[in-house]
Parts: sequence; structure tokens; C-alpha cells
Amino acid sequence: MWDFLGDRYEQILFSGWQHFSLVVQCLILATVIAVIIASLVYRSKGLTSVVNSVSAIGLTIPAFALIGLLIAPLGFGVTPAVIVVAFFAALPILRNAVVGLSGIAPSIVESARGIGMSRFRTLLQVELPMAWPIILTGVRVSAQMVMGIAAVAAYSLGPGLGGFIFSGLSRSGGANSLESVLTGVIGVIVLALILDLLLVGLGRLTIPRGIRV
Amino acid sequence: MSERNASTSPAPSAASTGITGASILLDHVTKRFPGQVHPAVDGLTMEIPAGKIVMFVGPSGCGKTTTLKMINRLIEPTEGRIVVDGDDVTEMNGDTLRRGIGYVIQAGGLFPHMTVATNIGIVPKMLGWDKARIAARVDELLELVSLDPALYRDRYPKELSGGQQQRVGVARALAADPPVLLMDEPFGAVDPITRLRLQDELLNIQDELQKTIVCVTHDFDEAVKLGDWIAIFNEGAQLEQYDTPERILGDPANEFVENFIGSGAGLKQLTLTRVEEVGLADAVIGNPGERAADVLARVAEAGHGHAVIVDDRHRPIQWLSRRKLGRLDLISAVPDPKLPVVGIRATLNDALDTMLVSSAGAALVTGRRDMFKGVIDVRTVMDAITRSQTAAVLESDKAPVGLNTGMFQAQASAAEAAEAELIGAESSSAQSSSAQSSSAQPIEADGSGADARAAQ
Amino acid sequence: MSTGSLKAEAGIAGGDSAAGLPIAAAATVSRARTVWASWRGLVYQLAGIILAGLALLVWLLTADLSAIELRTLAPAALWVYTLEHLQLTLLAAVIVLVIAIPLGIALTRKPLRFLTAPVLAIANIGQAAPAVGVVVLLALWVGFSFWAATLSLVLYAVLPVLRNTMIGLDQVDARLVEAGRGMGMSATAVLFRVELPLAVPVMLSGVRTALVLLVGTAALATFINGGGLGILITTGVNLSLTTVLVTGALLVALLALLIDWVGRVVEHVARPKGL
Repeated sequence: MWDFLGDRYEQILFSGWQHFSLVVQCLILATVIAVIIASLVYRSKGLTSVVNSVSAIGLTIPAFALIGLLIAPLGFGVTPAVIVVAFFAALPILRNAVVGLSGIAPSIVESARGIGMSRFRTLLQVELPMAWPIILTGVRVSAQMVMGIAAVAAYSLGPGLGGFIFSGLSRSGGANSLESVLTGVIGVIVLALILDLLLVGLGRLTIPRGIRV
Repeated sequence: MSERNASTSPAPSAASTGITGASILLDHVTKRFPGQVHPAVDGLTMEIPAGKIVMFVGPSGCGKTTTLKMINRLIEPTEGRIVVDGDDVTEMNGDTLRRGIGYVIQAGGLFPHMTVATNIGIVPKMLGWDKARIAARVDELLELVSLDPALYRDRYPKELSGGQQQRVGVARALAADPPVLLMDEPFGAVDPITRLRLQDELLNIQDELQKTIVCVTHDFDEAVKLGDWIAIFNEGAQLEQYDTPERILGDPANEFVENFIGSGAGLKQLTLTRVEEVGLADAVIGNPGERAADVLARVAEAGHGHAVIVDDRHRPIQWLSRRKLGRLDLISAVPDPKLPVVGIRATLNDALDTMLVSSAGAALVTGRRDMFKGVIDVRTVMDAITRSQTAAVLESDKAPVGLNTGMFQAQASAAEAAEAELIGAESSSAQSSSAQSSSAQPIEADGSGADARAAQ
Repeated sequence: MSTGSLKAEAGIAGGDSAAGLPIAAAATVSRARTVWASWRGLVYQLAGIILAGLALLVWLLTADLSAIELRTLAPAALWVYTLEHLQLTLLAAVIVLVIAIPLGIALTRKPLRFLTAPVLAIANIGQAAPAVGVVVLLALWVGFSFWAATLSLVLYAVLPVLRNTMIGLDQVDARLVEAGRGMGMSATAVLFRVELPLAVPVMLSGVRTALVLLVGTAALATFINGGGLGILITTGVNLSLTTVLVTGALLVALLALLIDWVGRVVEHVARPKGL
């Protein structure tokens, strides 16, 4: 095992970094998209329940199935991987953003409007900052989930640690196949822990003391 | 429109010195919410004089809050005009209008993710003030509402007590020095003792600033205490009586008002006399750091029983008896939290309450910015009661205009036949405009929706 | 999950209908509407699944298929794959329930209480392990077979059920437990008559989550010769047969949605009245 790691640490570090950066970029993309959608729908009960259903049903679609569906039109490569990871990352964030935004006391919104803030400014300066802790929780849930999904996405030859799992599988019984798979699995777990810690740190930095629990 | 203009007298301008408030005129204002049979506010015409405190009272659902929120157009009127300081604001940008009108709600409506300073500075920032000016203004306002800027500037709302939050809410509303302050049940969420204090402070602030304050309350005693004028509403924001507290208590317009005042109107008269209107007794003053023996000597010389210890801003912090002075060596600077204090604008009722609670038989009176003014005792209060019982109710000559021209009123009084024609025209135009009014509905809809969600 | 929003809709529908109508009529109408509103989402979901299934069928019938595609997608073959998939899913689910629920109960009892936090922490870390990695690792260890697939599925799905069982039991109001004990109920009686019934909604939602995870993960079993619908996806990719690939992916997705639907119906019916 140590030989395996020693021989390939550059490749492992590179794949790990690719995996991490794929997940982080998709998370950022997903957060932006989810917050925008949530901001558009949370005032309407009908649209909110539509969005919640979409998010609940979307989460039941197996990642592997969605990758299969996307390989058909898009071919192999990074594009289907990014789409799949970002899609699944957006769902929990979307749900939490809607919950967070609609959970703000109406009196707070009214007082923002009452002192002359426009709808948009109220959203930007009052509602989104107040919903941020809940949105960030959604981002943490997403991060844990899509770390694993990004590994499956390697099936479409996307970047990352999933490659070690699939190459170990294809060489099963051969030399180093177990080491290769273990590297992939443990690497993903380690990355997930690191990302979670980073997100907790982000929360410390971005959540004002006044609404920290 | 021009016809209606003629029917109401123009709002009085801020003539006397010191008044920074602006007059408000509600001109034939009606609000219909979609899906409701009766209008929430029905053809209300009402004049709110500059620099006065006007209290809106009435049973819940009577339209008083809707009326208040139409002044800053948080709720858009279906019909009619809103005139502030002589300018018709019915069509201007609502956000711009609201930046120029202070707004205070229950528990202050502070933003929990912002510090006290940011909360207070938010309107000046929107108006484009520079940082230094905002910081100076924040400190000034915190002083005004009796909070030490150094201590409270950087705190978050959850680190404040209910009363302090309410104070910051008032400071925030005053930040850009608006001529008008709207308050929606501002003291509803604090305990009774804090409420009395906050009421006193509001009166002190009003003494200093002379804004136009419109305040909704469900507490009639609060209305009597704070209001220069009280408007009593019935369903559909129908004005039952709009007059001074003295006249409403002494000469209720009808049975509805009588019932609303409830029993004990006589005792409530007590709330009409303010501490400043009766004579205050002097007191021996001491300062922290003085030798207790020196103070005791002064007390003995004056023939008093107590000495009042004040801090460097002349705010009372302790009230020491001769016996206590005898036991002390140096006077400490630690404030006594149970000090019986009433504001100079407090009513005799409050003063009596405070005395009874403290069992001291007397209370310390403070004026602007909590500065010590003198001592009031039980005998002073008793004398005042006797006097007010014999005093006749004075005729008020400059009562502001307030009347309804809506449907309810028409049914109630058939006498106004001339008005009735106008109503017919109004109601037909109302139907055509009720479709447009739906744009104003989300505020209420949001509120009820969120309640429904919270109930899940 | 979305049961909350369903409840909210029910409340709103009731309020709307009561506004204009006479009281008696409004009551019956609003009850009918409430019932409809609480089932509406479920009806839509089923209708959507059936429609998508029919669309897939029509597409397959009208598409111009090659000989290999025809053979791979023969109804009998599809039926076998689907049965294998369900077999994997349900077998794993039963094992998961047998392990996770008693374990969850045990871990929330006093003697083992101190283990609650560490177990949840480990469970959370385990959740971050990539499913495909767990499947492959176990196969390398146990051998490429149906049982290796089942075992890895069990490992993967134990976590949500265990966690929801513990959370469900933990959130039962301590005063209710105390009231039960105060009436002279034994600890076991309190567990079965107070705690478990109150924890049922949370536990069921954990079971549903696990089932959906299982359907998805079972598609990965094909990598280790475990059978199931995943073989259509890998075959489609390996032989560049788009039709097979899409059919496999859609069937897996529809099966997941269908299982989710069944789970929701059970949750809806089994929720204790008054909650």
C-alpha cells in the first residue's frame, strides 16, 4: 500500500485536487443557481411547493442513471460530470434556501420595507443574510453528497479520484487493484472532511454574531 | 379630486418654533382588500397636526393599523390621497417616501444580523451620508434614547433586553431626522414597568424634537398618557371620536367610546395630570466619591430624610436615607437598580404606581436625558387628585378634522344627504379600481402566509 | 421532507374555501379539499411516473433498433433485470431494517446513550464514502457476486435508517416519557406505546431515503456482476448503444421514483393520527 502511494503520490495529489476543485466549483455554481431560483419563488406558495417537489424528486434520481442519460447527448468528458455534480449539489441548497427565506419573520421584512428599503435591497441586505446560516447548512449537506457523486461521475471520464476506483475495478485481481480502489475511497472521504471543515470555517467568517446559534 | 380638496381645510403648517414635525392629511382614504366584503378603511378623512402625538385606538381588526400603514404606503390606499407637509405623496416612489418617515414596530423590528450601530445607520446609509456623519449620528441617537454608545454600539440585537431593543428601534426610526414617526404597537412586547419607562422616554424625546408621531395601540391608558390627540376607531376605521384625552374621558361622544374607555374613567383622569404640572420637592444632592458624613451633614441641615446621589451627567443613581448614610464611609458609584424613578412627563398614575412599588412613599423625577429634577411624594399626588376631580372639562377649540364619508357612515347618519351623492360616485369608481389594488395586497398576504407556515 | 409542504397546502386550501361559503357547506367542501390536497402531490407523482414509462415504451416501440439492441431490450430480458434489481433492493432493505432499527433503539437506551454521538459522527463520515467505491472494495474482498453487492448495499443504507431511528426516538418529548413512567408503565411499555409510535414518521422517512438510495446504488452492482438494471447502462456505454443506455438509465430513475412513491404512500397512511 505504501509503495503504491509513494509511487503515485503526484498523480494522487493531482487527481485529488481535480476532484476537490470539480466539487467546489460545482458547489459555487449550484449555490448561485439555487439562491437565485429560491429568491424568485419563495414568495409564492404554489411555486415553493413545486420547487420542493422538484428538489425531493430530483434527489431520488440515481446519480449513475443521470450520468447514463447525459452521456447519450453529451458524450464522455468533463461536461456531463459537471452537470451531474452541479445538479445534485443544487437540490439540497435550493430546498434550504427556500426554507430559510420563507422562515424570516414577516415583521422583520415589514420593518425593512417600513424604513424605505426596496424589495430587492430587502432581499439582498436583510433576507439573504438572515437565511445564510440555513443556506450554508444546505451547502454542507450538498458537499458531502456530491463528493461521492463526483466519484461515480468519473465513469464518464470526468476528472478526479473516481478514476482510481474504476481503474482498480478494471484491473481486478491484478497488481495493486485493491490499493487503487482504497486510494480512491479514502481520498474521497478525506476530501469530504476537509471541505466540511472549510465550510464550517466559512460559516464562522460569514455568519454575523447576531444570528449565530 | 379638486372638489375634495375644497372640502377639507389645509393642514396647519409648522408655525410655532421648535416643531420639526410635518402635518399629515388623509383625504377620503379607502382601503379594500381583495376578497373582503367590507372595506378595511372606509372613506376616512383625517388631519394630523404637526408636532403632535396622535394615538390610534380601537378594537382589533378595526383598521387602525391599516390606516397607519397607509401613511407610509406600506399598504397602498385603494382610493384617496395622502398628503404629508402639504405634498401629495400618493403617487411618489414608496421607498423614497418611507426613507423620510420613521417607522417603529413591536420589539423594534431590528435586523438580528446587524449591530446596533448598523441598524441605526441603515437609513442614513441609504440616503448616502458619509461614514463619519453616520457614526456621529448613531452616537447622538443612542445618547438620546439613554443608551451608552460605547457600551451598546457594537452589540447585536439578541444581546439587548426587550426595552433596549425597543429604544434602538426608536433610534433607528429617528436616524435620518424624519419629520414624521409612525409607531405600530411599539411597547406591546415589553413588561409593564419597562413600558412605563419607555413611554416616559418617548415623551421626553418628543419634548426635545417635536416630531409628528402617529402611534397605534390597543392600550387605552397608553393612549391617554402619550396622546395629544386620540382617535378612537370602530370597524372600517370609522372615527368614533377624535379629540384630546381630557375631552374623551370627560365627554365621550357616544356609547361605543364609553364602552371602550371602560370603567374607572375617574381614576383614569389621574393619568391626565403629568408630574411636571405639580410642584416637586427639592432634594439634597450628593456625588459618588464624597464622604458620606459630609452629605449626612447637608441632609441634617436641610431637615430632609434622604440624599439623592447623581452621576456626572446628573442622573440619579442612589437614594440614601440618613441611616444608610450614617453606615457608609464613601459614596459609591454603583447605581441602585431598584431606584423609584419617574419621568417628568409621566402621569400621576405612574408616579403613584412607582411609589407604591418602591414603598418609599415618594419617587425621584427625571427630565430630559434622565437628569434629576426633584422629588414627588404621595401628598402631592393626593392634592392633585382632589383638584382634578373638581376641575371642569374644558372646551377644546382647535380640534383637528376627522370624519368618515364611506358607506358605514352613510348608513348610520342619513342626515348627510349631500355627502351621499358623492358616495355613490365613489363606490362605482371603487369597483373599477379594486382590481388595481391587488398590487398592494402582498404585505398582508405575506404576513398571514408566514403565520400559516409557522403554525405547521 | 415534502410532507411538510403538503400539510401547508392543506391548511391553505381549507382557509380559502371557508372564506365565502356558508359555514356548513364550507366545512364539508374544505374537508374534501384538504384530503385532496394531502394526496394531490402523490397522485401527480404517480401520474408522472406512469406517463414517463408510457413515453419510454412508445419510444422503444417506434425506434429503429438494431439486432443487438432488440436482443438486449427484449421484454423478457428487461423483466429479469428489473426483478434482479428489486431483489437486490428489497433483500438489502430487509437486512437493513433488521439491523438498524434494533441498533437505533439500543443506542438511545440509557446504558448505551454515551455511544449516540460517536456513532452519529462515524455514520456521517461513512456517508461521505463514495458508493461505487464501497461496492468495488467489498467485491475485491468477498468476490464478484450478488452477495457482495447485497452486502455493500446494506452497509450503505444502514446509515440513514439508523440515524433517523435515533433522531426520531430522541426528539420524543421527554415529558411524555416521564408521564408514561409516572402512570406506572414499564420502560418497555413506554418504548412500544409512546416512543416508537411518536418516532414513526421520522423513522419511515429514513426508511424511504434508504430505499431510494438502495435503488440507485443497486445500479452500481453491475460493476461486480451483481445483476440489476445497471447492466443496461454499462452495456450501452461499452457498446455505444445509446438506446440501451437511455432505457437503462430511465428505468433505474423510474424505479427509484416508484419506490419513493410507495414509501410516501406508506408514510402518509401510517402517520399516527393527531400528529
